[in-house]
Amino acid sequence: MKALLRFFIHFRVFFLFLALEIISLILIVKHNQFQRSAFLNSSNAVMGKIYETSNNVYEYFGLKRDNLSLAHENTELKQKLYTLETELNFLKQDTSYQGRKEMAIDKKYTFITAKVINATTNKLKNFITLDKGRLDGIKEEMGVINEHGIVGIVSSVSDHFSVVLPIINPSSRISAKVKDKNQTGSVIWEGADERIALLEEVPLYIPVHVGDTVVSSGYSSIFPEGIDIGKVKVLRKENDNYFYIEIELLANFNKLSYVDVIDFKNAEEEKGLEEETRKGAEK
Amino acid sequence: MIGSILKQIGIFALYILVQVLILNNILFFGYINPYLYVLFLITLPSNISRTSLLLIGFAMGLIIDIFSGTPGYNAFASVLVTYAAPLLQKMFGPREDHDIMIIPSFKSYRIGMFIQYALVLVIIHHFSFFIIEYGSLSHIGSILLKTGLSSLFTMLLIIVVETFKSKR
Repeated sequence: MKALLRFFIHFRVFFLFLALEIISLILIVKHNQFQRSAFLNSSNAVMGKIYETSNNVYEYFGLKRDNLSLAHENTELKQKLYTLETELNFLKQDTSYQGRKEMAIDKKYTFITAKVINATTNKLKNFITLDKGRLDGIKEEMGVINEHGIVGIVSSVSDHFSVVLPIINPSSRISAKVKDKNQTGSVIWEGADERIALLEEVPLYIPVHVGDTVVSSGYSSIFPEGIDIGKVKVLRKENDNYFYIEIELLANFNKLSYVDVIDFKNAEEEKGLEEETRKGAEK
Repeated sequence: MIGSILKQIGIFALYILVQVLILNNILFFGYINPYLYVLFLITLPSNISRTSLLLIGFAMGLIIDIFSGTPGYNAFASVLVTYAAPLLQKMFGPREDHDIMIIPSFKSYRIGMFIQYALVLVIIHHFSFFIIEYGSLSHIGSILLKTGLSSLFTMLLIIVVETFKSKR
């Protein structure tokens, strides 16, 4: 027994080294398994505060760029408003207009604007931290977009902060389709370039062309249908059944400043119903 | 004594803040992410016991991990560095005066020896870090490229900081 103790004391440096490396490995493996858990990630309140402060400083450097992009968006919105007003005036003459108006008022989606206070793009497992959390109405599994397109999905929330799993994380998988075609596939990211993602599961008989826009499919309750994700950049046959499609992502992950979190009012109802149906089918 | 410990704690915090708030945001060609905090771990005075050195390395790595959302990654690489550093100090450091406290620097090691000493440890740190990040050796090409480019950039920063320290 004494000899054993002496052995441990003699090699204490090595055993401490081993113990610390094992603790690190446990953390690494746990992190991979429970990426969604808020454990040790930056939605933690203290970290959030520090990032928020540093972001307040960084923000000044991007003011000009942000203003420009806001002005641009403004113009686009004005253009849309004008088109819609014209359409509305035309429709007002239509007798069935009243009925349609009620449908339009039924707002399915509302948006929560949030500021990006920390984002990584040069890692394999990238994350984005937002300055809004549970108290602002953000919940897990909500979609996140900016003015260019889809950014990602909220993965964990604390009271004042939330962490987003962006498209550029290998764990991300977003249901998508080529605009105006009905076949849906999945947008995934393989970790090389923060501007390029892949669209999988599109069969060869779908007429896809380079330059086509890829949009959300609307099949999940996370994103409404038709939100831009990217443009087809490289297109070739992967095997006898499917295309290999590289898409250029539209949301610029290096320059994120403000994003919109999508609150789908009926998400829980839809999920609950689907769950019930599934259970019923299993019986 | 207490003054010098407080000073070290201040430098410890400074390295962490520089790493988390500035260097982690640097992006060159999508491959370079310098980890300057390694310099703190490899220039600690030689009279610190090896067990405390390991614990300091683990603590520093873990704090940076918590900020970067990568639990365990930096901790693993830092513990490896703090385990290897004393062994390398015997190889690269000055031969005489084994009992005297030495702080590895350009002056105490001479420039060439210090750069070699730092380079070996930086490569150990970066290589283990990127293997963990990719989770396997199947992307060995990307891992080597990232290790090479990031090590180069980290070494440049280390040389700049050390030059500044030796001029003071």
